[in-house]
Amino acid sequence: MKNEEYDKLIKEIVVEDNIVGNIIISFFSGGLIGLIGEIISNFIFKNFNTTLSDSYMITFMIFIFIGSLLTGLGFFDKILSVCKCGLIVPSTGFANTMTSSAMDTRSEGFIKGIGSSIFKLTGSIILYGIVFGIIFGFIRGMLL
Amino acid sequence: MIYFYSFLFCGFVCAISQYILEKSKLTPGHINTILVILGCILSGFGIYDKLISKFHAGATVPITNFGHLLVTGASLGFKESGVIGLFKGILINAGPGISFAIVCAFIISLLFKVKH
Repeated sequence: MKNEEYDKLIKEIVVEDNIVGNIIISFFSGGLIGLIGEIISNFIFKNFNTTLSDSYMITFMIFIFIGSLLTGLGFFDKILSVCKCGLIVPSTGFANTMTSSAMDTRSEGFIKGIGSSIFKLTGSIILYGIVFGIIFGFIRGMLL
Repeated sequence: MIYFYSFLFCGFVCAISQYILEKSKLTPGHINTILVILGCILSGFGIYDKLISKFHAGATVPITNFGHLLVTGASLGFKESGVIGLFKGILINAGPGISFAIVCAFIISLLFKVKH
């Protein structure tokens, strides 16, 4: 088969992802999660005796729990293929990467399996978060 | 109206990340790390507080808020006890998120098995 024919065949078989469609989908799914978060944090702030920042923290934790649970049940990847980035950017994505790397290596034992690989993917978030947090925390302390 | 604002902002962040994900070869892990660093930078100059006061939960649900929590904790510690406070305080605000995620991931990984 010649190269040109091969390219033609590839174009016929491979369906290109609809980029604009994906961006619109992730806009609406991400927005929906922001909306749900607003409803939850408003509910907590009004009904329980917490400060505003605490109610945001509880909302953050609720999304972590939901992300972990969906990953455990095996639904996360199915919802992810529909919602795209709308599930990665909120804290559910953080929980998903942590839980999935813990679940994958569970069979290798507690120390060598879960213990050593739970931070395999989220380690970069924590590492760069803390390094940049120290630098910009210093700047913020000086400026504000 | 505030519900609409939080919808708009959270959707906006997700749409931009999706655009980066489509146009480059970065993985979701890269995106999350970039967003946390971006949150640190925005919070370091006090921009993120304005975003939160305007968009409420729309700005606290994305992972950028994690960077904001780290920076606010570190700066509070710095004001209280100088350079050692930076290291003392960095996890004060963000600690609940990290520890809860670790505990959740551990318990869930014990309860469920990977389905093939």
